[in-house]
This record gives sequence, structure tokens and C-alpha cells, in this order.
Amino acid sequence: MSLVELIDVCKEYANGEETIRPLDGVCLDIEKGDFVSLMGASGSGKSTLLNAVAGIDFVTSGHILVEGTDITQLSRSRLADWRAAHVGYIFQTHHLIPVLTAYENVELPLMLLKMSAAQRRKRVEIALQAVDLSNRANHYPRQLSGGQEQRVGVARAIVTAPTLVVADEPTGSLDDSATLQILELLVRVNQELGMTLLMVTHDPEAGALAPRQIRLEKGQLQELQVTEEDTPTSPKSLISQIRSYRSA
Amino acid sequence: MVRLIPYIAKSLWRHRTRSLLTVSGAAVALLVFCVVGSVQQGLSELTSESHAGNTLIVFQENRFCPQSSRLPQDYGRQIEKISGVRQVVPIKVFTNNCRASLDAIVFQGLPPELLKTVRQLTLLQGNWSAFEGQQDAALVGYDVAQRRGIVPGQKFTIGGVTVYVGALFRSEVAAEDNLIFTHLDFLQRAKGQQRGSGKNDVGMVTQLEVHLNQGVDVDQVAADIDALFHSGPVATTTRTKGMFQADTLSDLAELIGFIHWLGYACVGLVLSLVATTTVMSVQDRIGEHAVLQTIGFRPFQIFRLVVTESLLLSLLGGILGISFGLATLWWCGLSIAAEGVTLSFQPSWLLAIQGTIVSMMVGLLAGLAPGWQAARTEIVAALRHA
Repeated sequence: MSLVELIDVCKEYANGEETIRPLDGVCLDIEKGDFVSLMGASGSGKSTLLNAVAGIDFVTSGHILVEGTDITQLSRSRLADWRAAHVGYIFQTHHLIPVLTAYENVELPLMLLKMSAAQRRKRVEIALQAVDLSNRANHYPRQLSGGQEQRVGVARAIVTAPTLVVADEPTGSLDDSATLQILELLVRVNQELGMTLLMVTHDPEAGALAPRQIRLEKGQLQELQVTEEDTPTSPKSLISQIRSYRSA
Repeated sequence: MVRLIPYIAKSLWRHRTRSLLTVSGAAVALLVFCVVGSVQQGLSELTSESHAGNTLIVFQENRFCPQSSRLPQDYGRQIEKISGVRQVVPIKVFTNNCRASLDAIVFQGLPPELLKTVRQLTLLQGNWSAFEGQQDAALVGYDVAQRRGIVPGQKFTIGGVTVYVGALFRSEVAAEDNLIFTHLDFLQRAKGQQRGSGKNDVGMVTQLEVHLNQGVDVDQVAADIDALFHSGPVATTTRTKGMFQADTLSDLAELIGFIHWLGYACVGLVLSLVATTTVMSVQDRIGEHAVLQTIGFRPFQIFRLVVTESLLLSLLGGILGISFGLATLWWCGLSIAAEGVTLSFQPSWLLAIQGTIVSMMVGLLAGLAPGWQAARTEIVAALRHA
């Protein structure tokens, strides 16, 4: 059984007299440990699909099963519990809580899980270490650069060891250097931590990092063919590949 | 939720000007609430003290101000013969201001041996013999002494009456902490000299305090007393002590009854103030709450966060206002007097608890609508808005 299964998912809403249907019978399977990039033109419904999989948006019809749980059938409260335990969300703009330090921001999702303060501290330290920000733990978001803020956002998303990490244009608001850092981080999250990753991006170069690439057009998904040669094997080779894209 | 208190506190501190203004508004309102409450409590205690229903006050008929009530002291001996009467205490009252005043001084002259038995006084400084052994000595209530800076051993003059301070006392009845007790005959003479007639008031008293035996029909005894003197040189009006004090303070009581609405108005003011601040805070942080929901906070947890924030604002303001208000009232010993009857502002732990509960209730109520609004936020729309 796939980790994530989308069965005939439709989403429609009215815009005046016109009915918009960004998702029109979408079917998709994501296996455990997959790194999937979801691309498409602006307004094609990429983020809508991502949000539906993350359980923060509702679909009009169809089913979304994650580890066998149909999240379209859950109440708002149970869906919140499910998100706390199973989803790590990386936003386009980091969306850190401004009054909390980097450490406290990363600790926030753990507050919702049953664990001791010592266990929380250990997890937060590991997550901050993973994003190479241990020395910025007590800094507030305003004291961090854009790239550092996004790395804290990544740490917050992975600290609960979620079933699925979703990233909505995670490099959309970053400069080139920060973009490379974040992409390298995401690849490591997938390859070294084995986390399943669904990333929405409009940047084909960033999207090309994922071994599996999907395109959303007119409410339908198209699987892009990726050859063995296209798929880098290590984060370093991935990043050098991006650098070569950029320099070309 | 306790784990999230630092986050809530930091959120409040982030908008510290707004938070501090709200807290200070709540503090002022709760201070007024406490002052109003303490006056009401004082009035209530005065009219319902343990002896208020079993003790009668005999006053000159159709007189209200103690300056104008003059009863022959001899009436006491006749009243003592009425069935059910245990003891009669003649009292001369003198006040420097018959109208309602926050700093009226009221002297009560009683025979010292009776004073000792009918008033439950605890001497704080000085001693009883210093009072009993000297004709012009006085026992000064703690609150008057506090307000006027009076200490034992000194002499002071108020309203033309000069006394030596024998001791300071506290009474079981808080209103009595605003009285000055003197020897009866001393005050009778002092009052007479003050009239400038060369005569004194010896043999005349302002009122007679009649203590009854248990189980006696109080109204019947009052009627018997008034009937006894109906055709005498001075007719009397006899009421229970509680009723006498309530009648004397009736104008003030009406005013106090009115200002208790002011207390409620203050509570309403805090409610709208805290609610407005919380709504503004929620609207500022629509995106933040959406992020929390995305992370996995339940809508009800968001609701509780907002309500807790509102509760903290109100409670903090309330505690500050209540503490400051009650501490000031305790320290100042404020009282209001009219027609020689004093009404003491009564700060109490009960009032502090009531004020704290009111603050909490107001905080909870003020947080309901903003909390509901925050909890119902659509995550995706809110994230776009942020």
C-alpha cells in the first residue's frame, strides 16, 4: 500500500458565475521515502493539491489516504491531531512566530505531542543541528537572515519526524545562495533521514532535483519521465547539478 | 496550555503599549469597583452588626443632627424600669460637621465604666488607666489617628474640644475606628462652654443606647419607651440601632445605592476594553494562528490561547487595581460621616476575592468572541492573507 493515495480528488469553487476546478479527478500514489516535486504554471492548483494532502484544505470530492487513513473524512479537530503527528509543513515564507526564538519555534510542534521536556529538548537540538543552526538557537526570527529563517522552518517541519513533509515553494522568497542551502537541506531530509517529501515549485531546476516529478495542468496530473542519468545520487552531486544549471 | 504561557506572555509583550494601556484601564476600573464595594460593605456591616437588631437608640423626636438632640440623662433611669431592658447607656455626641464629609470627627462621651462593657475595643497604644484616670482623656479610633497623625500622650483640639490622647484603639465594629470616645461629663461640660451661654450640658445627652435582654420584643419596647415620654418635656423617637443608623445615613445610602451601578459600569468598561484589545490582537495575528493550526493546534486550542491572553490582561489589571485600591483604603482608613454616624470604607479579603473573580470572568467573557473568530479561521485563506 502506498504511503499517500489520492483517489479521484476534485476541488471546485465558484468565481462569480464561473466554476473553477483546479483539481479535476486527480489520482496519485506516493511511496514511503519518495521525493516528489509538483510543478505547474501559476494558478494551476499545485498549492491546492499540496494543502489538501497536508490536511489544511478541503476537497470537493474524492479521497486522500495517508497510511490508510482517509483524511477527507476527519473532523477539524481530528485533522489537527493528525497533522500534528504526521505532517511537517515548510512554507514559502518561513512563517516563524516572531515572538519566539529559533529554539522555541522548533519546539512548538512538540508541545502538541506527549513527551517530556528532556525529550523535547533533545529533539529540538538534533533538528537545529540538522539545519546547522545550533549556534542561532536563541536568536529571534528578526535576528536571522532569510535563509536561516527558512532553515528554522525546515527544522520545525522535521522535528516531529513526520510521516510526510510538504514544502510549498520553499525557495520562492530566497536569493540564489539561500535557495541552494535549502534545496540541499531538503535532499538530505529525504536521503539521510528517509522522510517522504512532496515539494511544490514553479522552478524547473529545483523541481528537477526530485527523483519523481509531476506536473499539474488543467486539473490533471502528468508524470514526467526521469531517466537514471537525470537522478543524482547524493546531495552534493545534486547541488553541483543545480550550480551547473545556474551557471549555464 | 500551561506550557504555552510563555508564548502568550511574549505575544502580549510584543504589543506592550497596547497591553499596558489595557492593563492600566482594567486596573483603574477595578480600583473603582473595589472602592464602591468597600463603601457598600461598610454600609451593610453598619446596619447588620450583631447588636444592631437587639439594641435601641432613643433620640429626640424629629431631630436628626446630634447637635440638636437633647435628652435629659435622667430618662435612662426610667427606661431601665421597662421590662426587657438590661442596660441603658447615655451618650453625648459631638461632631465638627453634621453634613456628609470624608473627614468629619465624631466624639462620643460615655461613662468610662459603661464604655468598657458595651464596646469591644482593643487598645493598640496607650492604656486604659490613662483614659480612665484623667477627665479630659480620650480613646481615639485607629483610623482617625492614622488620618490625623494622632499619637498617645498628645493633646489636640477639634471643633473647640480639646482632649488628651489616652490610648488608640481598634473596635470589632469597623465604623467605630473613626470615633473618639471621651468621658461623658467632660463632653457635656465642653459642649456647654462652647455654646457660650456660661451653662454646660451636664444632665443632657444626645441619645440613649438601650441594651435589651435576649428574646425581647424589640418593637414593643421601642413603642413603650416613646409612649413613656410622649407627654414629657422632650418626646423621643426610638429605633433599633441598625434602623437608626440606616435612617441617619439614608441620603448617603441612596447615593451609595446609585454608585454601585458605577461599579458595574466599570466592569462593563473593562469588558469592552479587554475585548477590543483581544480582537485587535487576533486580527493582527490571523496568519500566526493559521500557522499554529497548520502545525497541528486544534481550533479549540487556538480558542483557549486567545481566551487565556484576554484572561491574563484582565486579571493582571484587576490584581493591580484591587491591590492598590485595597492597600490604599487599608492604609488611609477612609470613612464618611453624616449626622454623627460614621460609615467606614471596608476593604476586605472577601472584596479582593470578589474583584479577582470579576476580573477573571470579564477576561473570559472578553475573550469569547475573538477566540471564536480565531478558532474558525480558514487556514489557507489566512495564510494567503498573512
